[in-house]
Amino acid sequence: MSISRKIICLLGMLFVVLPAFGLATESPNEMAGTGYFRDQDTQPGVLEFYRQLPGGENGLWGMGPKRKVIRRSSFNKDAHNGVADFSPEVRCQKCHIPQTKDLHGLRMGITCVQCHRSQPVAGVYHYYSALNPIRRHAYVCAKCHDGATPSFASYMVHEPNPVASETRSTFPLFYYAVWVMLILAVGVFVFFLPYTALWWIREFIVKLKGRSNHG
Amino acid sequence: MVKERTRLKRFTPVHRLWHLGLILIFMTLSVTGIAWMYFETPWGRGLANLFGGYLNVLEIHRIAGLIMMAGFTLHILYMIYRIDWKGFPGSLLGPDTLVFQWVDVKGFFAHLGWIFGLNKLPRFDRWSWWEKFDYWAVWWGLIIVGITGLMLYNPVLTSDYMPGWMLNVALWVHRIEAVLAMGHIFTIHFTVEHWRPSSFPFNAAMFDGTIALEEARHEHPEWVARLDKNGRLNEALVSPPPVPLRILYFLFGYSIIFLGLFLLVFAIANAALLTLF
Ligand code: HEM
Ligand code: HEM
Repeated sequence: MSISRKIICLLGMLFVVLPAFGLATESPNEMAGTGYFRDQDTQPGVLEFYRQLPGGENGLWGMGPKRKVIRRSSFNKDAHNGVADFSPEVRCQKCHIPQTKDLHGLRMGITCVQCHRSQPVAGVYHYYSALNPIRRHAYVCAKCHDGATPSFASYMVHEPNPVASETRSTFPLFYYAVWVMLILAVGVFVFFLPYTALWWIREFIVKLKGRSNHG
Repeated sequence: MVKERTRLKRFTPVHRLWHLGLILIFMTLSVTGIAWMYFETPWGRGLANLFGGYLNVLEIHRIAGLIMMAGFTLHILYMIYRIDWKGFPGSLLGPDTLVFQWVDVKGFFAHLGWIFGLNKLPRFDRWSWWEKFDYWAVWWGLIIVGITGLMLYNPVLTSDYMPGWMLNVALWVHRIEAVLAMGHIFTIHFTVEHWRPSSFPFNAAMFDGTIALEEARHEHPEWVARLDKNGRLNEALVSPPPVPLRILYFLFGYSIIFLGLFLLVFAIANAALLTLF
């Protein structure tokens, strides 16, 4: 990054840093690490480690994504082991439709295996998987996003549908923020569109009347 | 021959400059933002290609965003400077400020009543309730779109200060507020300012800084009466701007309006091609 670009960013960040300051000092999401350390290497398949993102349940962090369901296969070396109609020839999209609907694929044309790298495709929590949270920022995200940190890697690439009711428990802040914004936006239009239309009609009537009075 | 002084000063050169700047920067952000939002559609890619591809479009959008936030900061400083601190906080009230007051609640219901033919058109002072709303709507919009836009400016840096999943939230909030702002300007603002039968086809107030005295007597009668009573009406009257300038204002204004309508129509037409979730 050039120095001027850095200054611009720093100036810009002032707006974000000030409100986030209290959080920033407490945040285990800074460079420190994933918070998972190496326990999962010695105890493969321990689901509990992955239920909650680093940072715990407090404040803003409690409003973040929660992994309610973690599949056993996410810990496998071959995630498709035992899937009846799987073969390496079928396209991922045949089964993983929701995972094709996000910005990485739609706008940038990134393919599944650019991130789900190994052959056979490993579960994301397999202890050698490139996508294991302990290393995904460095092995996957940083391929395009220079300097990606564990915190950065907690961005949900396959984000849930923000307005669906499940999201209220799986990613509460996302759900509430999007609903509040939608209600604001829809409210403005529901009020102003008819109001402006009626207003227009009223003025038109006044104008017609005025004309007939004069003529 | 002296031209007749038929128009009333309403906006200072600084106000006009800022509104012009707002138009230019808002339209830049709209075109580049929409291009990126519709990048999965041929129309969006076409728009982005006009700017030399998605990287450039996003870079222009980011820089325009920073310029807008700088303009907003200057506006806030200007506002602080313009507040009459001696009479504070009472000076925040009164007919010349944009602060919402009880008269605006009354004005709102009276205007609604007039629309339904129940009462006469209320006698607005300098600012009607919807003009105040337009002003503060830009405030709330810029705060929301500004904070989230700055978060998205450098996502890796942002996630040093908050969890990275805040970017999921920020993008959606940014997107909804941006769609709200563009939708509002391209339909409601344009209709209220330019297409109401009393202002059709074009209201140049924000460009030349004046409105016709006749129109002011109708839309802001209390204001004119107040100026008259204080003996300041005469000094506030000016003659119409020269014809070439008026043509320029009209052409510029309508290019922006057509650009807005172009974005609106194509965004709606292509909305079905967007994958949102
Ligand atoms: C009224 C003003 C603005 C409008 C209408 C607007 C519009 C948009 C739109 C439509 C998008 C695309 C959203 C999507 O991907 O679905 C976008 C993205 C973006 N905006 Fe804005 N924006 C505005 C102000 C700002 C400001 C002030 C900034 C920053 C200082 C900013 C920074 C960004 C960034 C960085 C993105 C890219 C997000 C990404 O990486 O995908 N915007 N904007
Ligand atoms: C071609 C584009 C636009 C034109 C021709 C236009 C025209 C006008 C006019 C004539 C007024 C003055 C009304 C009066 O008090 O007599 C006005 C006010 C205003 N405009 Fe615009 N506008 C345009 C775009 C925008 C945009 C893009 C924004 C914001 C993002 C905006 C925000 C405002 C605000 C806040 C006011 C003050 C409220 C009011 O007095 O009604 N305008 N505009």
